[in-house]
Amino acid sequence: MQIRTLKDALSFGDLPASERIGFILFIIFCLIFPWIIKGGFAQAVMIQFLIFCLYGLGWNLIGGYGGQVALGQAKNVGMSAYTVALLIVRWDIPFWVCTPLGVLVATVESFVLGYFLFRLRGHYFAIATIAVSLVWQQLFINWNFVGGARGIELPLRETPNFIYMQFVSPIYYHYFAFVLVMIAILYMNWFRKSRLGYQLRAITANEEVAESLGINIHWVKVKTYCITGVFAGMGGAFYTVYYNYIDPFSVMHLELSIMIALMTMIGGAGSMWGPIIGAMILIPLDRYLGAWLGGRGIIGVDFMIYAMMVMIISAYEPKGIWGIIEKARRKR
Amino acid sequence: MEMLLSTLISALQMGMLFALVALGLAIIFGVMNIVNFAHGEFLMVGMYTAFLTATIFSIEPLLTLPIAAMVGFLLGIASYYMLVRYLLKGPMIAQLLGTFGLMIFLRYLAMCIFGPDYETLEHGLLIGKSIKLGAVVLSYPRLGTAVLSMLAFGIIYWMMDYTRLGKALKATALDVEAAGYMGIDTERMRGLAWGLGGATVGIAGALLINFYYVFPTIGILFCMIAFATVALGGFGSIKGAFIAGLIMGMIIDLGGTYIGPQYKFALVYLTFFLVVVIRPKGLFGW
Repeated sequence: MQIRTLKDALSFGDLPASERIGFILFIIFCLIFPWIIKGGFAQAVMIQFLIFCLYGLGWNLIGGYGGQVALGQAKNVGMSAYTVALLIVRWDIPFWVCTPLGVLVATVESFVLGYFLFRLRGHYFAIATIAVSLVWQQLFINWNFVGGARGIELPLRETPNFIYMQFVSPIYYHYFAFVLVMIAILYMNWFRKSRLGYQLRAITANEEVAESLGINIHWVKVKTYCITGVFAGMGGAFYTVYYNYIDPFSVMHLELSIMIALMTMIGGAGSMWGPIIGAMILIPLDRYLGAWLGGRGIIGVDFMIYAMMVMIISAYEPKGIWGIIEKARRKR
Repeated sequence: MEMLLSTLISALQMGMLFALVALGLAIIFGVMNIVNFAHGEFLMVGMYTAFLTATIFSIEPLLTLPIAAMVGFLLGIASYYMLVRYLLKGPMIAQLLGTFGLMIFLRYLAMCIFGPDYETLEHGLLIGKSIKLGAVVLSYPRLGTAVLSMLAFGIIYWMMDYTRLGKALKATALDVEAAGYMGIDTERMRGLAWGLGGATVGIAGALLINFYYVFPTIGILFCMIAFATVALGGFGSIKGAFIAGLIMGMIIDLGGTYIGPQYKFALVYLTFFLVVVIRPKGLFGW
């Protein structure tokens, strides 16, 4: 059983050769990136790209394969980030112990919320997830134990420290994030061939039919939502040690949830590479454009561009860029 | 006791405005089953329209109401014909994220033009005045807003029930195909629903500017209040939107006074959450 799972996760044999080559190129690019490009800003953008890949791959499960517009990914990220930060700041617990706990908190939170929220469908569900994440953000802004609106700053260690994941050089963070993304991709590769993956896609295609086939719709959605929470929790834990600082506006913000959803949507929701393509386009665009425009005192143009992209994509090609690629491939 | 009384009055006044904001959302949802995430941004556009016309031409803010209504109407029509029409063909995720894109676009457009500053009107017929009745202080802007909101709400309510146009809209809401067979131009009705939604929320914005400050990200707050109101009243129900608006006003003002002002909006979200979980069709939904 375990061996089969592993084999499923590691075999990309059913994908077309072009996709496999693309994947290998992506791995090589990520591996050699810190050795070619030395600019601090570029490396920071790359790490952000990897974090967002992780978020996007997680959201793609419920938003893409599941077709449920959950706009609360930021709260899962935030739950885990806050758990990790609090444990480190207040009790000095090593990162490697905090992270599983943070992920656990994010997952349990997803489970409890998902259990109630998945009674709702469509619009109601989407708005309810927004409402919940806004409640969490308000609570964290006003809750002094977790630092309130000021946020939490992690103590700086004197020497680079593996136990608390504190390094001077961003290379370590880069490779750590890369390993996380690779695990996520392998998981996705297993997921799309797994029982849960097929059940989820059946639900997206037609809930009534899926139910009549004996699939427990509610349970499948809740399970998937929990897995989404795990991905977001990993991302949140990494975010905390990478930035050494979190506040309710960086990890709990609705804008983060929106960004994750838009990114996946632009890249192609419900496809394996969609979130990565989306992150590849949106994150560098966001950071470089934001820096360039911000330096000139222009604010908001970057978000206007994404909004335009998302409106065009959802009006004409709801499957995103990956959908366009697949269409072109089918024509050939 | 006096505090309770003045809070209740203020809550009712705000509630009428919330009802007007929610009305547009209820009409749009009722006619075509799509949730307009940009609704709060429409309100912001109405507020900025009123603010700019009032300051640039230095006219009485209340006279900007028709202009804000017109701008809202055009914005609604434009959104329908340029975006929503295409979204309706796609899957639901595209519909949701499409209006979401519109919301972000309008929000950051305002951010780009006006900057993140808070602006208020300083001169006007109602602004800054109040009257003392016994122990209760009534502020003119809120009172005027409540009265005019009621009036606007009443006009729309009357229109929906007693004019041919309103009946056609209702028919489209009930069954698009059947309405089409009856000779109703359903495409136009849908555009009109967006126009009406935009116009009512534009009026609400022009009223709100009399006593509230405007800034580019104000939308999400009122959008969530409107969602909560509409969910409480039942999606698509106009009568429900009115009663739920009053309840919402109570929750916000009483909660703000007795629990703590920093939690009053968390209470809105919580109400919404409880309503959709416990009674998803709302008070008067169908």
